[in-house]
Formats: sequence, C-alpha cells, structure tokens
Amino acid sequence: MFYDLHMHSCLSPCADDDMTPNNICNMAVLKGLEMIAVTDHNSCKQLPAIDKVAKNLPLRLLYGCEIQTQEEVHVLGIFNELGKSQTIQKWLDERMPNIKNDEDYFGHQYVMNENDELIEKEDRLLLVSIDASIEETIQAIHDFGGKVIIAHVLDRQNSITTQLGFIPDGLAYDGLEVKTNEQKLRVLESHPWITEDSTYWLVDSDAHRLIDISEPDYFLQKHVVRELWGDGK
Amino acid sequence: MTLKELLDQTGWKLATPNLDTSKEISGAYCGDLLSWVMGNGDSNQVWITVQGHLNVIAVALLREFSAVIIADNAAIPEEMIEKANEENLVLIESGLPSYETAKKLVELGV
Repeated sequence: MFYDLHMHSCLSPCADDDMTPNNICNMAVLKGLEMIAVTDHNSCKQLPAIDKVAKNLPLRLLYGCEIQTQEEVHVLGIFNELGKSQTIQKWLDERMPNIKNDEDYFGHQYVMNENDELIEKEDRLLLVSIDASIEETIQAIHDFGGKVIIAHVLDRQNSITTQLGFIPDGLAYDGLEVKTNEQKLRVLESHPWITEDSTYWLVDSDAHRLIDISEPDYFLQKHVVRELWGDGK
Repeated sequence: MTLKELLDQTGWKLATPNLDTSKEISGAYCGDLLSWVMGNGDSNQVWITVQGHLNVIAVALLREFSAVIIADNAAIPEEMIEKANEENLVLIESGLPSYETAKKLVELGV
C-alpha cells in the first residue's frame, strides 16, 4: 500500500490552516495514497473529524500523534482504532504542561469538524515536551495498543540522534522513520545493533502543507501493514 | 582540582557514592544535545547537562569526561546510576540550574 504516516493537520500550530480534514484526505486520495496517518504534535483531537471524512473515501486511515518526550525526541504513536487514539489523548492531557499558545508567534491550533468548520481552538501550546521520558512514552503507546515509530531519526531537530547522540540498543520501538534510503544506510552503518530486518523502516513526508504530502513513492506490503495494524475496513 | 575537592567545596551530591573521586578536572563542558556533546567535549572535563538518559553515560565515556554533573534537579533514572557505577563514571547532582552550576565552577577556578 502506498502510504504516508506522518503529517500535520491545522491543529498543529506549525502546519498550514488549510490542512483541514477534507483537504488532507482528498489530497491523499488525489495523490494516489492508500493509507495515511495524521500525526499532530502531542494531540489526537483532530482525528474524530478526519475519521468521518476518510470513511467515505478509498483510503485507510491510521490514528496518530507525534509526541515530544522530555528528551525533546519526536516519537510517533500510531493506532489502528480511533478509540485507542482518544484514550492516549487523556494520558497526553495529563502529561502536557499548561503553556498558553501565542497564536501570533506559533500559529493557530484549530480543531475542525468533518465539514472543515472550526469547532475548537486548542489553548495550550502543543509544541512542548510532555512530562514523560522516551521509554515511558513508548511504554504508554504500547499500553494503549499503538505502534511506535521513532520520527525522522536523522533530522537536525528533535530527532533521537540529535538529542540522544544515537539510537539506544534495546529501545522498544516498532519502526524507524527516515527521509531517504541513503539515511537508512547511514543509520545501519552507525548502529551495529540495528539490522535491516530488526525493525520496520518508513519514509514519510512530515507534511505541514498540502503540497508536501507524499506522492505514491513509498510502499508497504499488505502483510507488513497487517502485522503492524491489522486489517482495515 | 579533583572531583573530591569539587564536592568538598560545593557540597554537591554524589549520585555514585562508591566511586573513586580522585580524578582531576581539566575544565567543563555544558550541553544537552548529546550529538553536539559527542562532537565537541574534551577528555577530563566535567559535563553539565539536564539530560537524564542512559545514553549520557555512553557519551561521557566516549569523550572521557571526568564526571557528569546533572543540573537543575533533573531526574536521574535508576538504570542510569547503575550503568554509571558499572562503568566507573562519577555522577554529581548540583541542584542548581546549568548557568549557576557553571558559575560555581568558574568561581572555583575550573
């Protein structure tokens, strides 16, 4: 399946306001993607509306969030049911520091309904570290029934290699996200304890604008998708 | 100055009380991005950081730091202390923010 499992809706302050539920899902279909996950910073609040929109489209939706841990590492939690994502939302609410968003500086944090109408503004700034270490975060995602993908592992900002120097041996993630195949080779070269077969490798867009959502360039075999998230609708 | 002298003069807490503190301190390095510290720290420095993660031990060993000073009362996981003990790496808690910790080192001539 052609996929893109890392993108931001208009709930993320850094994403464009036109990353609405209908725009995202329809753009994904137009681009020829078969499976997407929307992964806002530290929040799953946009997902109920996106779920309603995706139900009417030839698109499998997974339910994600991009959590920033205490170490300022970005970790994707990706769930196969809306309900699971809304359960981890409660955990996120408890772990989130109460810092008010400055819309002028960081951007809007809009929650939309399935008709792309504004129903809520998230007041707390989402671009923060939650009060949990990377290990606690991974444990929580697993406890709530999700899979853990370590986001953009070689990025200069908020990546595990920038923040922690390297990917620790034994960290209980399910997959690693890279930007290119060349990055994957670099990860393998610098981490003798990671092999090509020891984890799942994903290439996602991390789109903050509609235009940046992936083209149908990256493919996951159906059996791999089933192993990770079961069968879809 | 040795680690022991530093501890005596500051009253900072030794998180690894069973380890030898006779090592010399040649200077200090301050940073929380481990990738950055890996590329820039020098041997025998004390390293001031708020990152309480097991990888800190690996980076400190790689750079051959004399000790790691955890600033700002950042949490130190139990496994990090265990690993430090295993690897003979001294962990110190200053109880002060990074800047005040560095200032204190300057005052003491580090």
